[in-house]
Amino acid sequence: MSDEPIYSIENMVIDLYATTVSVRAVDGVSFNVRPGETVAVVGESGSGKTVMTLGPLGLLPEGVTVDIRGSARAEASELVGMESRRLSDLRGRYFGVIFQDPMSALNPMLKIGPQLARQARRFAKLSHADARKEAVSLLARTGIPDPEDRYDRYPHEMSGGMLQRAMIALALASRPRVLIADEPTTALDATVQAQILELIRQIQREDGIAVVLITHDIGVVASVADRVMVLYAGQVAEEGTAMDVLTQPTHPYTRGLLASVPDFRADERAATKEIPGLPPNQIKLEPGCRFADRCELVEPECRVHRPPLQTISTAGTPHKVACPVVLRREGIAVHV
Amino acid sequence: MNISLFRNMKDWPWLVLLPVVFFVAVGVLGPSIMPYDPGAQDYDVTLAGPSWAHWLGTDYLGRDILSRIIGGARISLVAMAIVLVAALAIGVSIGSFAGYVGGRVELVLISIIDIALALPSLVIALALIGILGTGYWSMITALTLAWWANYARMSRAVVTAELQQPYIEAARVMGASHLWIFVRHILPHVLALVVVYASADAGALVLAIATLSFLGLGVAPPAPEWGQMLVDGMSYIEEYPRLVVLPGLALTLAVVSFNLLGESFALQKVPRPVRGGLLRKRRKARAVEEAERNAVETGTAAS
Amino acid sequence: MSDAAAIEVRGLKVHFANRSGTGAVRAVDGVDLTIPRGAFHGIVGESGCGKTTLARTIVGLQKETEGTVLISGRDRAQWLKSERKSFSREVQFVFQDPLGSMSRRQTIYQTLEEPLQIHRLGSSAERRRRIGELLDLVALPQTVLDRLPRSLSGGQRQRVSIARALALKPSILVCDEPLSALDVSIRAQIVNLFTSLQKQLGLTLVIVAHDLAIVREVCSNVTVMYLGRIAEAGVTRPLFREPAHPYSQALLSAVPSPDPRIEADRRRIILAGDPPSPSAPPPGCRFNTRCPVAIDVCRIKEPMLRTVPHGGVAACHLADGERRPII
Repeated sequence: MSDEPIYSIENMVIDLYATTVSVRAVDGVSFNVRPGETVAVVGESGSGKTVMTLGPLGLLPEGVTVDIRGSARAEASELVGMESRRLSDLRGRYFGVIFQDPMSALNPMLKIGPQLARQARRFAKLSHADARKEAVSLLARTGIPDPEDRYDRYPHEMSGGMLQRAMIALALASRPRVLIADEPTTALDATVQAQILELIRQIQREDGIAVVLITHDIGVVASVADRVMVLYAGQVAEEGTAMDVLTQPTHPYTRGLLASVPDFRADERAATKEIPGLPPNQIKLEPGCRFADRCELVEPECRVHRPPLQTISTAGTPHKVACPVVLRREGIAVHV
Repeated sequence: MNISLFRNMKDWPWLVLLPVVFFVAVGVLGPSIMPYDPGAQDYDVTLAGPSWAHWLGTDYLGRDILSRIIGGARISLVAMAIVLVAALAIGVSIGSFAGYVGGRVELVLISIIDIALALPSLVIALALIGILGTGYWSMITALTLAWWANYARMSRAVVTAELQQPYIEAARVMGASHLWIFVRHILPHVLALVVVYASADAGALVLAIATLSFLGLGVAPPAPEWGQMLVDGMSYIEEYPRLVVLPGLALTLAVVSFNLLGESFALQKVPRPVRGGLLRKRRKARAVEEAERNAVETGTAAS
Repeated sequence: MSDAAAIEVRGLKVHFANRSGTGAVRAVDGVDLTIPRGAFHGIVGESGCGKTTLARTIVGLQKETEGTVLISGRDRAQWLKSERKSFSREVQFVFQDPLGSMSRRQTIYQTLEEPLQIHRLGSSAERRRRIGELLDLVALPQTVLDRLPRSLSGGQRQRVSIARALALKPSILVCDEPLSALDVSIRAQIVNLFTSLQKQLGLTLVIVAHDLAIVREVCSNVTVMYLGRIAEAGVTRPLFREPAHPYSQALLSAVPSPDPRIEADRRRIILAGDPPSPSAPPPGCRFNTRCPVAIDVCRIKEPMLRTVPHGGVAACHLADGERRPII
């Protein structure tokens, strides 16, 4: 694992615009991922996790005007403000993206195999025969049984789990350095989800690529992520190693989030706790902590200043928390 | 889908109502604002030009043209309203029934609707008049039978689409009867759509009535009717073009004003001649609206 | 009310005609199930296992191909035919997609008033009072009444649809995946709402779910379905502790724990392949194509449900009162 980030975002602010409203979807977030590492970006709908990760790559849905400030760097190039042809080229070579819905990546009118072969040829000089071989081996690698036969199948002839695998194969066809997985298992059944997570783990072991996992499922995070970043209403609430954040959550939102997920294997029947209220309306930008209205620990200062992201040390690994109140109350030392 | 006609009433161009209101008012008030009896002949002033006595002049029998145009408005309006209401009633009932019942009944009714739609309405009307004979009521019947199919098709489409919605099942689970579901949930959707189309059809109907009368198949003389007036004026078109131009103008204005109304219902915007730039603008406006909705929902949906 | 079970399903089969006309999709293919009054029952399984069809058939949204459904001891088919309204006062259904299950043109007030109007309950003032009670029951503020479903959050919508289902004071509430459209932190709110409603109103609750963690949290009993059949059933805790059916074991193993310490060295059972198509279930045990411990008899003979160590039942040749296969 090299220490040099392979994809990094600095101080990203993303506004989504429409005529009368603008939404600050991402508000000053920094983030990076290194080769061979899996970073999970966790948050509920509206937390900005997808916008932050896919926005700089130009992969937001059409019809939304986006204003991106800050910096996003990959392969020594600045993505923010890059000309769209170059961005699309870099995106194809450097990033593989898998979505919740496989049909958003696959063309329903074309057979699976040729789609993979074409993607493989786009970035490597391959003969048609080699591209076909490459496509079949991608299908085999992603655990699709009888890949020679599946090569000539149309997407509608395959089951949900198989399509998910085919989409992963498509994302890997250009031999990317970073795999971005946007809720890759949300729509899948438990046993198929386990298969897909295992597949992602295996790809990472073999290729050493970086994985950015966008999810709201804490269980998925615990089972595959090395590091975690918890987003709330466009801001980082807490980040650190998965072990630190999930076993010693510190930000009140992270604690609430974890308490609201029943632990399947814990023996005690701990009543599921709920976080009261709803996430804030990001159309109105108010100073102070975004979580203040739902927080048990709220103090007057929380509504005035945006809480700084402070580094604490849990088990010697960096762990950042954006809540001075909890740190002060619990006497947790802040590293400068 | 935009189902409520009056969703954006504040954006709706009230101005397009003006010509239609004017036309309807003239038709309704007709007899009380006519300067003369439209049938009264005055041989002293045949083919007279505009004067203080006869603002728009007189025709070859000395009848006051203004009075006849006002009378014509009334006849067109009444005939059009009868046809529209009848065609809507027939179309909505048959279409909704087909859509709600489904199965073989739907198949048969759909075939009938499709056949009716395949022939141009005016051709059907002409054929029916051939069977029924000429006259006011046979014209009304013929036009109704020529016009209902379109509403039937639309009603059926709306009913079929709405029936697929889960909330219909929810109503069933609550113990609602079919009648309840139809009246409370489905009919409002059907009417909202069909009425929009009907308002656009009004202009076409006014034209059809005039056409049939022009051909001598509709309103019989001496009733003042625009199509009728056009025929009468034809023989004098060289010397007295206003005998043709004036009723023609009245007809055109009525048709255009109803079409404007219909289109503005459909677009909820002032219709303008469509040029490339305007099309782009409309598309942009729609995209912006979409984006706005998305943006509002970003709080809950597109994280 | 009689002593009869709230819901009793006997030999239920629900088949759908296939689009191509070749054979039927056997969504539910021989299910017996008894849910006692006052139970909080979970039905779990993966998509295509027939759990939603089972729930829809119980409330009469789907006709059975074979078998009977008894609701509080009465035959459901007869009851629906003769007295649809009295049936709907006994059983109510909560849909998976709360937004779709409400008319988009009706305000929340109209939505909640509709069942009362259909049943001609109370004057307009009494209905208003009842709607107020319903809002309190599901902890919604009065301010939602004038809004349209679209402008509510996912959790609020689901609360409205639960309130509507409770408007007729049913004794049985069947919910089809009521949580799957919701965010994690909101899920917990709705789960807690269900538990408190059940305590307050003494409801019989049936929840179809694929989130096993939540089922374990709240359900007293659970039925695991696979390909149109019951694989295993029993009291939730013991069943989840020592599942007897290999499929239940794999399903339970597939759920990741939110604790990375557990995840780090947990043994995972990864099943091969996808569930077979419900229009052509394999011969013998339905799970044999994916079962890691299948033996010859599993490919020939379909196993019956039998009592297993946790006290419930499982349909596995390798399990009986004393032993269970472990994969």
